[in-house]
Amino acid sequence: MDPEQVDEFVMGYLKKKGFNSAAKHLQESLHNNNGSSFSSIDYPNDPELTKLIRSFSQSENDPSRYREGYSKLRSWGYNSLDLYKHELLRVMYPVFIHCYMDLVGKGHTQEARSFFNSFRKDHEMVHLRDLQKLGGVLAPSHLQEMEFARSLRQSKINIKICQYSYDLLIQYLHRTESTLMLGIINEHINFQVYSGQPNSASDDIEAVTIVGSFHETADHVNQKEIHWGLLEDSLEDRLEKTGGLLSDSEKGQGESKAGDDSKKRSAEIGKQGSSTKKLKKDKAGTATTKVARQETSTVLSSMPRVKPELAMPVMSTDVEESILEDLRNRVQLSSVAMPSVSFYTFVNTHNGLNSSSISHDGSLVAGGFSDSSIKVWDMAKIGQAGSCALQDDNNQIVGKNGRRNYTLLVGHSGPVYSATFSPPGDYVLSSSADTTIRLWSTKLNANLVCYKGHNHTVWDAQFSPFGHYFASCSHDRTARIWSMDRMQPLRMMAGHLSDVDCVQWHPNCNYIATGSSDKTVRLWDVQTGECVRIFIGHRSMVLSLAMSPDGRYMASGDEDGTIMMWDLSTARCITPLMGHNSCVWTLSYSGEGSLLASGSADCTVKLWDVSSSTKLTKAEEKNGNSNRLRSIRTFPTKSTPVHALRFSRRNLLFAAGAYYMSDTVGSIFLNFDRFGIMAVFVNMSRDLRRATCDAIDRRSQIVVRFAVA
Amino acid sequence: MGIVPKETIEVTAQSIGITNLSPEAALMLAPDVEYRVREIMQEAIKCMRHSKRTTLTASDVDGALNLRSLEPSYGFASGGPFRFRKAIGHQDLFYTDDREVDFKDVIESPLPKAPLDAGVVCHWLAIEGVQPAIPENATLEVIRAPADNKIYEHKDGPLIDVRLPVKHVLSRELQLYFQKIAELTVSKSSPALFKKALVSLASDSGLHPLVPYFTNFIADEVSRGLNDFLLLFNLMHVVRSLLQNPHIHIEPYLHQLMPSIVTCLVSRKLGNRFADNHWELRDFTANLVSLICKRFGNTYITLQSRLTKTLVNAFLDPKKALTQHYGAIQGLSALGHTVVRLLILSNLEPYLSLLEPELDAEKQKNQMKSYEAWRVYGALLRAAGLCIHDRLKVFPNLPSPSPSFLHKGKGKIINAEPRKRKLSADSSENQPPHKRLITTDGPDVLRPHDHTGPAPMHVDKPIGNYNLPQNSAQPSSSEQASDGESRNGKEKERGKSRAITMKAILGQIWKDDLDSGRLLVKLQQLYGDRILPFIPSTEMSVFL
Repeated sequence: MDPEQVDEFVMGYLKKKGFNSAAKHLQESLHNNNGSSFSSIDYPNDPELTKLIRSFSQSENDPSRYREGYSKLRSWGYNSLDLYKHELLRVMYPVFIHCYMDLVGKGHTQEARSFFNSFRKDHEMVHLRDLQKLGGVLAPSHLQEMEFARSLRQSKINIKICQYSYDLLIQYLHRTESTLMLGIINEHINFQVYSGQPNSASDDIEAVTIVGSFHETADHVNQKEIHWGLLEDSLEDRLEKTGGLLSDSEKGQGESKAGDDSKKRSAEIGKQGSSTKKLKKDKAGTATTKVARQETSTVLSSMPRVKPELAMPVMSTDVEESILEDLRNRVQLSSVAMPSVSFYTFVNTHNGLNSSSISHDGSLVAGGFSDSSIKVWDMAKIGQAGSCALQDDNNQIVGKNGRRNYTLLVGHSGPVYSATFSPPGDYVLSSSADTTIRLWSTKLNANLVCYKGHNHTVWDAQFSPFGHYFASCSHDRTARIWSMDRMQPLRMMAGHLSDVDCVQWHPNCNYIATGSSDKTVRLWDVQTGECVRIFIGHRSMVLSLAMSPDGRYMASGDEDGTIMMWDLSTARCITPLMGHNSCVWTLSYSGEGSLLASGSADCTVKLWDVSSSTKLTKAEEKNGNSNRLRSIRTFPTKSTPVHALRFSRRNLLFAAGAYYMSDTVGSIFLNFDRFGIMAVFVNMSRDLRRATCDAIDRRSQIVVRFAVA
Repeated sequence: MGIVPKETIEVTAQSIGITNLSPEAALMLAPDVEYRVREIMQEAIKCMRHSKRTTLTASDVDGALNLRSLEPSYGFASGGPFRFRKAIGHQDLFYTDDREVDFKDVIESPLPKAPLDAGVVCHWLAIEGVQPAIPENATLEVIRAPADNKIYEHKDGPLIDVRLPVKHVLSRELQLYFQKIAELTVSKSSPALFKKALVSLASDSGLHPLVPYFTNFIADEVSRGLNDFLLLFNLMHVVRSLLQNPHIHIEPYLHQLMPSIVTCLVSRKLGNRFADNHWELRDFTANLVSLICKRFGNTYITLQSRLTKTLVNAFLDPKKALTQHYGAIQGLSALGHTVVRLLILSNLEPYLSLLEPELDAEKQKNQMKSYEAWRVYGALLRAAGLCIHDRLKVFPNLPSPSPSFLHKGKGKIINAEPRKRKLSADSSENQPPHKRLITTDGPDVLRPHDHTGPAPMHVDKPIGNYNLPQNSAQPSSSEQASDGESRNGKEKERGKSRAITMKAILGQIWKDDLDSGRLLVKLQQLYGDRILPFIPSTEMSVFL
């Protein structure tokens, strides 16, 4: 290769990059030093170097180079050593999306699209939802407009990688002169190289979510101190004090107490309506119950105590008495002592039920409908008066006098997305697409207050555990804290990058947790309004949250059916709970925190043993391996997605959902090629009473339809 | 390109009156339109999730448009999700099935029923962790109690080393139910109540835990009560109800049930030989067997072969009693025509030769034996006749190269009619043997018993119109063949007009399937004219 040629390449490179003065200088010096050799490297004989130099001067606008470079890197990654493969493959995804965005940014829409489609399969399993979003980006302006894309472009992605994998990667990139790939990797990936063996593939959850600059801020935020202990002088404390006295006297009459227990339960159940079914005697063994109670009470008392940061509402003595009574009669649950589940099924909702909730004692059920109405059912009344009406005519459940048997609350002007009860059950709080939150009285059956403040649809509103305060969250990406007596919000929590979809109070009232469409859960300090924890790990929209009664753990459920258990203090996921295969709409902890119930769109209620797992994790911390929590029981419903779950104070589990009527059960696909008939579809109605059978010919026309009634 | 091609933009532009849209503009617009659509879908999915649904509806899209402060789409909000139809001749062109409605019809039609108002119903999803078997709950797939015990063992392995005995927990209600049903089955005192019990057995959803108990009970009672005809019959009814119940998974217990069922089919002695109509029980059980084979034959491939083996062994063993032969023949014929053709018809000739002496009243002095022999003969005739009928019925359809479907459907509907006809013919055909028995050498004592005997046997078959008159008209006719011939003649007369076509078809059948033709000839040789009533019925279909 001629030195002149090299000079040409260098010139071309400088000009292309716009270094005109440098190019001029070079030209001048070339003229000056004409003929004299100035290089110490023997470049004419080094073919590698010439190629490299040539590549610099080639036009960078060639879109096919992205595809070429990426596919080379990809095949190299897939053929690398098994031990390091997963670490190297982790690099693929950021390279892939940035290649795509580069192509879009340069206006090669066509190429970008074909590049995207040919390689998206690789990443679909983990990043499906991100890819769906990015797939819509087709013009440079979209890159600016879309927040997700912008945050990806602006920030670097942290990837933990072991020393050897890193060396392998760099070596490869240099050897093959994939300057383009090298550029992308340098620009967008921040390697955190560590020495030693590579991590096992499974435990690195952080690798799967790329949320822009989140990780740094998250790490920073998660350093803050939080006090997750329970409130001082809570009712549980008081119960323990009185309970200590009780237990002395109990010792002599343990049996009778337990018998009393089950009697009370059945009384409670009778109150809830379906008094026709009897409860079996508590077979869990009274002795174990006693032991468990002692254990949990010691556990609870060992928890740290904190002072409330908010002025707490004063509780009337009779309410307090009733709660204490409930707590005293609480049934201890564990993996061997399962709760009873009472299921409230909404019928004839015509797909209009958006949300439902159950009061703490299970006597009231509220539904928020898409026709802007809220309906409240008093189950105790239905149980007494309606039982005969039920038998007479189970299609239309009306009272004896033919009137509807619920209270209709009208006031909103948009679909109602949440309706929840205050802890004593005297208020209902509803939030709607009309951007307002309304407070209703269940005693007066009337609207009391309309809270305006949010700028968009309010997705969720929840009372604090002691009432009076409530939190709301909205499409406007904020969560707000309100008190019942003020029209304006007290605090506003901003920070989520997308809709805030659900909100939940910490049991000590000092924090709220919010789940968002940006796939994170955040914990906010109610007093300061600051974000104190960011939980990263979900792969899709967070739909439900629950706080353990001891205040230490939080569970969150997402759109894919994954439930994650978080340790609040460390902001780490203890373990993901896999089992549901569709949206987890609701989560609830049992009264003493030993069981977690989850309700999902796959028409099941699952019970998870979380007490043993939390014990295990302490041991695990030494071992360093994580094992998954167990699902101990699954209760399938017939065809009812579970919308709401609530453990009563006595640990009876209430569940609610709307019966989903799908007309056809399924179709059987057969292939008859004789007589020109292609296929026969058999559709059977859900009640198995009607069936149709369609024979379809080659022109996909229905030739014959048989109907069986 | 993306989801939205530029043609869509052009079409949309035309539809709103922009005719001079430049192709470049369309090309620029297409990706942006796609982006906007995706954006709206993203918001719509959020709305769907917050409405706690998993299917996207038009109202969700409206919600999304609202969130973006855009005007919602009108006219789509009512009703359920849209049904899209594929446009014929295009790969991926869909349209909503939107029919044109005559305004007059809408006005004149009565008001639709008001939709039912929302309500809440309450039930126990679980009681202390156990799902009660009530109609509101989903049916349990398997009994879970033993499995649960195992899980406990496993997880508490290192801590507790006690092996829990596998215990099947039965609720008190179920225990009572079982006792009551067992009592009713054994007592035979109140048939009305027993019928109700059978209905309950066939329809209740929570009975699955009882299935092992029932199988056990049936096996016990059958082995104990072989002399008790009514008990056996009741037990078989219970089996049938259990099989009918859609909520019960009886497969795992089938192997325990089958011996009892087969016993009721081919046992030498079922109840009193003289006083009880055990033929009826055998027929009933044969139906049961065919039901089981149809339902579970696919999952248990060995089921049918094993069953056939048992039955054929019983059938071909000359030492076995005639009652056993009868049961075996009925069982085999219930298993389908292929079985009959392969197993009965191939052995028909030697068997009939063995049966011959028994049939002859002069040689066989024992009336009972002779009667039994005639029953066996009738069963054989029926099996063979049904088989040949089936073959003849199937053939005319096969050779025609591609009959239009409509035609075939019609043919089927017509075919159903002759079947009934044939059955009636068959029942009348089955009866003559004992008629003859009665008329030739039947003493008066046997007469009432015989009449009560066959009557219930044919309850499930329509008794032929001309059956009864015949009974009275030809009681003295001692010649069986003439009886068959005269009827055959009648039918032939009726079919005279179509005789030519009939013959053509018959000819074609024989040409097409020499085997079946030969079979027919053979049968005719063996049975004489008695087989004929089975044959013309096919042609009658053309006639009708």
